[in-house]
Amino acid sequence: MQFVVYTLNGVFSTLNYKSRHILRVMESNLKSATEAKATPIAELRDASKHYGAVVAAQGLNLSIRPGEFLSFLGPSGCGKTTALRMLAGFEAPTSGEILLDGQRVNDVPPHQRPVNMVFQHYALFPHLTVAQNIAYGLRQRRPRPAAAEIARAVDQALETVRLPGFGPRRIWEMSGGQQQRVALARAIVNQPKILLLDEPMAALDKKLRRDMQIELQTLQRSLGITFILVTHDQEEALSMSDRICIMRGGRIVQVGSPRDLYDRPASRYVADFVGKSNFFPGQVATSSGEGTVLAAAGGHRIAGTAPVEIAAGRTASASLRPEQIALHRKADGLPVTVVNRIFLGEHTEYLVRHADLGEFLVLVSRQAEAAEGGFDPGDSAHASWADGAALILADD
Amino acid sequence: MQRQGLRTWLFLAPAGAWFLCMLVLPLIVVFVFAFGERGAAGGYVPAFTFENFANLGARWTAFQNTMVLAPVGTLACLLIAYPLAYFLALRASSRWRTLLLILVIVPFWTSILIRSYAWIYLLGGQGIPSLLNALGLGNPRLINTPFAVLIGIVYGYLPLMVFPIYVALERLDKRLLEASSDLGSPPWRSFLQVTLPLSMPGVATGCMLVFILLMGEFLIPAMLGGGKVFFIGNALVDLFLQSRNWPFGAAVAVALVVVMLVTVAAYLRFTRRWAGGRDDVSLM
Amino acid sequence: MTDRKDFLTREKFMAELYRYKKGSVTRRHFLGVTGLGLATSVFSSAVSGLRSAAYAQGSIGDRVVVASWPNYHDPANFDAFTAETGAAVDLNVFGSNEEMLAKLQAGGSGWDVFVPTNYTITTYVEQDLIEPIDLSKLPNYDPASFDARFADAGTVNGTVYAVPRNWGTTGFVVNTSMLGDLPKPTTWKEFWDMTKAEFTGRTMVHDYQLTTIGNALKYYGYSFNSIDPAELADAEKLLLEVKPHLFAINSDYQPSMRSTDAWMSIAWTGDGLQLKRDMPEIDYVLGKEGGELWSDFFAIPKGAPHRDAAYALLNFLLNPEVNAKEVAFHGYPVADARVNAILPPEMLNDPIRYPAAELLSALEFGAAVTLTDPNRAELMARFKSA
Repeated sequence: MQFVVYTLNGVFSTLNYKSRHILRVMESNLKSATEAKATPIAELRDASKHYGAVVAAQGLNLSIRPGEFLSFLGPSGCGKTTALRMLAGFEAPTSGEILLDGQRVNDVPPHQRPVNMVFQHYALFPHLTVAQNIAYGLRQRRPRPAAAEIARAVDQALETVRLPGFGPRRIWEMSGGQQQRVALARAIVNQPKILLLDEPMAALDKKLRRDMQIELQTLQRSLGITFILVTHDQEEALSMSDRICIMRGGRIVQVGSPRDLYDRPASRYVADFVGKSNFFPGQVATSSGEGTVLAAAGGHRIAGTAPVEIAAGRTASASLRPEQIALHRKADGLPVTVVNRIFLGEHTEYLVRHADLGEFLVLVSRQAEAAEGGFDPGDSAHASWADGAALILADD
Repeated sequence: MQRQGLRTWLFLAPAGAWFLCMLVLPLIVVFVFAFGERGAAGGYVPAFTFENFANLGARWTAFQNTMVLAPVGTLACLLIAYPLAYFLALRASSRWRTLLLILVIVPFWTSILIRSYAWIYLLGGQGIPSLLNALGLGNPRLINTPFAVLIGIVYGYLPLMVFPIYVALERLDKRLLEASSDLGSPPWRSFLQVTLPLSMPGVATGCMLVFILLMGEFLIPAMLGGGKVFFIGNALVDLFLQSRNWPFGAAVAVALVVVMLVTVAAYLRFTRRWAGGRDDVSLM
Repeated sequence: MTDRKDFLTREKFMAELYRYKKGSVTRRHFLGVTGLGLATSVFSSAVSGLRSAAYAQGSIGDRVVVASWPNYHDPANFDAFTAETGAAVDLNVFGSNEEMLAKLQAGGSGWDVFVPTNYTITTYVEQDLIEPIDLSKLPNYDPASFDARFADAGTVNGTVYAVPRNWGTTGFVVNTSMLGDLPKPTTWKEFWDMTKAEFTGRTMVHDYQLTTIGNALKYYGYSFNSIDPAELADAEKLLLEVKPHLFAINSDYQPSMRSTDAWMSIAWTGDGLQLKRDMPEIDYVLGKEGGELWSDFFAIPKGAPHRDAAYALLNFLLNPEVNAKEVAFHGYPVADARVNAILPPEMLNDPIRYPAAELLSALEFGAAVTLTDPNRAELMARFKSA
């Protein structure tokens, strides 16, 4: 898990600042162009769901673009599944509206919505064969398609999920990964406008999950169907999605591309949730268009940018990704003591302690380590980062 | 190794002894008796004759009556138990569910004999018929009719039918219904295509329990049917306790056991088919 | 005012249930019919602290096991016996003579005293299940004071195997308020004919071959005990004809008579008495053609474990004072002149308890052969399954 996270982080960190900036500009230009053109395929308008006094979702506003791969990301109980179930029709919003293809569907029952779902534990019908499971949706259509037509569609779906010839099998004869594909085939055979995926890979082992993630992504591109994924696995969301909707306590915290969220988290919560980060708490000293300066413990001033403006005097945290910090022997920057070292292959992660700022993580690439030489626990060193690289985030 | 084997045997011994004493030995005794002769004063005299089996025709009517009562009674139980179990498992709020389930079992806390007496009063002329009469709905004869027997059977056996079906429905993965709905099936079709087939093992178990017990039922027909309809269970009671023709009674009992075995075999075959060859489902 | 109007009141219902629990449903057959079979209400008066001086040495042991009928013994008498002798009474109640016989045939009953009916005693003797009575141990038994007719069956081949307890009859009860213009039936012919016509759906017969077949035989004037195939064939024809008109075939007829669901039923003396007491419009009738007369006896089974206590209990119960209390409790007549001498006159004049002599003379004692005749058993099975 950790390992995977870091390889990903590595991918991002290899991009230099400039090229990142250019990419960002290009992305936002592209985005605004598509946003302007297409009507959202699905929309949540101030949608809330209350169970008595319990608030499962509060004031959700989200437009989902045709053909995109969107993930709801958050810990359990954050409202992401409720959002998905409102789109599927299993939950009616307490207030607000759900729109599919521009139509208000609050009162449309699930069986009349042009969406299909892949359930968390697949929810395959145990009394039916694989082929019967996949044919189920087609057989509900009125008028019912001809048997030959259904059989052809089923075979094709089995091909798509790479299970040709598995039609006559019983569900319990299939492995977890195979069941996952059957669940997928059962949904996509109906050619839904939106495919909803509720933690579809939670039950798979890590290796299988990775394979499946790639397959899903490929499938989404080839089918051109809008995919909406619910997951609590940040790595899964980051690697697959066009956009991620981060949720917390029933509310949407931030929506954006994986890179947006990684580079410009709107809050400490997002920064903490997407990738790994060091947080140095303190008070905002100055805040202007040029940048924001945080006064941290021991009077250390950390300069950075604030994605959301924070007034001077407020408490906040400076966020620095471990890979943004360099570790070296020459007396430049903060004097630290190496506490621990973890070898991660391409990188080495050091836990270091500073007298005032406490412990934080530093990720050193193999290349940098080759130049500087390795550190052992107990060694003295200095840590530094590019001035103004920190993100100053409000505490939430 | 050996010690462990010994321990296993010690643990199994009580169950084994019980099985031997309460099931196997009586069955052997009944089987042996079936080939004997009735003593001059009743009872059993050792012999080897097939006469008792040749005489089975004398209880043919009783067998016929039983083969009507048992399926009809089972079906009546099923028709009432299924909606009840469905309501309990899928509709009732969890707060009410426990209470309602207890209410289903409560009658089992008293003897069926006392409960049958209650029904004798309820169905008798001073009970429900007089109530109907007061409401101007006629004064039907209820007690000592086949209808009364059916009521008694449904009443007495309902829990045996409700519980296996309830368990099957309660264990039903509710997400399957969501999946069905998601795939375009309206609720009533989801019931027919998902709920019903997946509750079949419970239905089969309930039917089997009720059917087998009804095959030997004698109390309800005797009490609520006025003893005017003679079932194989009544024939057995009379043969053992009244005319004390034990060998003939044993032959009738053996015939009954054979009929039950055939029924159970058919049941296992059917449920295995429903379960698509998986054995563990058929036994719930 | 009869209590049938408020028959379904809660009190009455509970009383009925209590009556069932006490095992006091119709005297013999109900338990057998319902399959409770060996349902046993153990009656144990273990008041060992109250032993009297006379038996202080404890020579008879501390208990005596009795097999008898439901609601047939005054518990106060057993208490008194225990107080006097130190032996507690374990009472087991049975549903039928057939069941008692089955239990003794199976062996190991553990009984010290049992209460067989007249027609079964020869069978017990033949099967070697019963002990001759040592009359020297029963000083309270005075053969001379007993009506021979009710005592004879206890003597087989000149040996006394059983001493008489009390007797009774099997007639029918009829709810006279349901008769309308009809005259009250007085014969078995009328009983069966009315069942087929005016009382259709209102008549009950016993779930018991002896009385149901016996009284069907009386329709034709045959013997109550007939095992003649031709005569049984006639009885079968009648029974099959009558069956669709019956309210029920059930030996527990009191509840249905009380609720007036049933208007007429074959009945025993004690039930007739109880019904008449609570509902004066119900009459107990002995068919003029005859019917059953029966007599119960005390006997000691072979191998009784507490023989001394058995004799002590028999002697105690044969004491006229004690027996008079028993009569007051169970309601059946006794054959002991010494007892009748001290019973209140209204009991002796009760036409149900002590029917007129000419009615009694027509009655027959059940014959041993009916107990074991396979044809009667099969006839009953055909009747019930028709």
